[in-house]
Amino acid sequence: MGAVWIGVSRLLASVCAAFVLLVALAGCTVNPPRFEPEETAGLPAQAELTQVPFFPQKQYQCGPAALATVLRSSDAAGTPDDLVNEVYLPGRKGSLQVELVAAARMRDRVVYEVSRDLPSLLHQVAAGSPVLVMQNLGVKVIPIWHYAVVVGYDLDAGTLVLRSGTTERRVMGMRRFMSTWNRAQRWALVVLEPGQLPAGAQLDRYVAAAAGLEAVGRLAAAGQAYARAHEQWPDSAWPQLGLANVSYRRGDRQAAEGGYLATLALDPRNVVAHNNLAEILSDRGCVSQARAHAERAAALAKGTALEAAVAATAQHVAGATAADSGVSCPP
Amino acid sequence: MIGLLRTLLVQILAVSLLSVGSPLVVQAEVIGTLAGLESAQRDSDLARVNRVLATAEARDQLQALGVDQGQVDARLARLTDSELSTLADKLEQAPAGGDILAVIGVVFVVLLILEAVGVIDIFKKFP
Repeated sequence: MGAVWIGVSRLLASVCAAFVLLVALAGCTVNPPRFEPEETAGLPAQAELTQVPFFPQKQYQCGPAALATVLRSSDAAGTPDDLVNEVYLPGRKGSLQVELVAAARMRDRVVYEVSRDLPSLLHQVAAGSPVLVMQNLGVKVIPIWHYAVVVGYDLDAGTLVLRSGTTERRVMGMRRFMSTWNRAQRWALVVLEPGQLPAGAQLDRYVAAAAGLEAVGRLAAAGQAYARAHEQWPDSAWPQLGLANVSYRRGDRQAAEGGYLATLALDPRNVVAHNNLAEILSDRGCVSQARAHAERAAALAKGTALEAAVAATAQHVAGATAADSGVSCPP
Repeated sequence: MIGLLRTLLVQILAVSLLSVGSPLVVQAEVIGTLAGLESAQRDSDLARVNRVLATAEARDQLQALGVDQGQVDARLARLTDSELSTLADKLEQAPAGGDILAVIGVVFVVLLILEAVGVIDIFKKFP
């Protein structure tokens, strides 16, 4: 029995020795990840947003701390203590991604989802925006979800600088960061003032962020964001549609009508513009035009999530009565 | 248990409302930009979210997770339809970013080893 034990302990000892050697070797091989030249074009070799504030997290509360960090950087109010009541889930000892997004939106900020690759993240930092990231610091089966804020990088050294947990300036190898970020589906976002575009702005994601503001009734901010998007992508129907919807929700039906017509000039197949125009036109007595738009909307919405809503509009329009001849309707 | 019963009751009521074919079920109104975008982006066979149902479900779950009753509705009201339905359907699987201080016991040892090998990265608080 004793002999067996000695054998086992010797085995353990040698395993440990091998292990220590392995760790030592692993520690020596710090090679920065290689990027394609076009991925890092225009990026300075190093950047660090030293003015980004630091809120050391309290127990379990990295969500409120990380969110406060990016909010403060975009001139929005919010301390970690305020945010606990908005985003913390006691039963989960953590915060959900959607609630972080919602809290920033309620402060009239555009919450833009960054492309899920490291160069895009670095471009945001270089452009002056700290990036809120989710990491899984554990492994897939034992996840340890964590929020941190990337505030700097060094391409030559292959490192990132993060405000993380209770560490104000956590320097982390890019490879190591990537493995923790990969396990969180590379979730990353920047929080912007409504008139501001992110680095390398993508139309669909920017408009989705603005539409999120519209959906929760932050109309002034939504309007500003749509206006900026319309300026950036004048040929796209979506920012124009967004502007029209904001006008409608503010009660300015005349501006809304013009906006929907402008949307259809850019994209004659836009279901929402046809539908909403049908609503407005039928309300002011332009029944035949309203019916034409409602029919077009119904044909385009077939088989989509909007089918029921469009059918309801068609029903509403069918019951409308034509106005006196004094009303001027669009052709 | 009461929460479950309530959810069930709400669902039964909602379904019965649908079967009556009441014109109140989908009200004619302008469609928001987000609904349009989401419908255009996913070629979705997704039905539009029933906000009342999704709110009832999510409310029960948040309360069970210890969110103050007075805050639950305000927290749900600030979500978009699709966020709300994700919360209602997948709250349990959704990752909640928290802290690393909760790790104890065996898990701690396993993690320490994984950390040493460089697979994971949670103990680098002391450089």
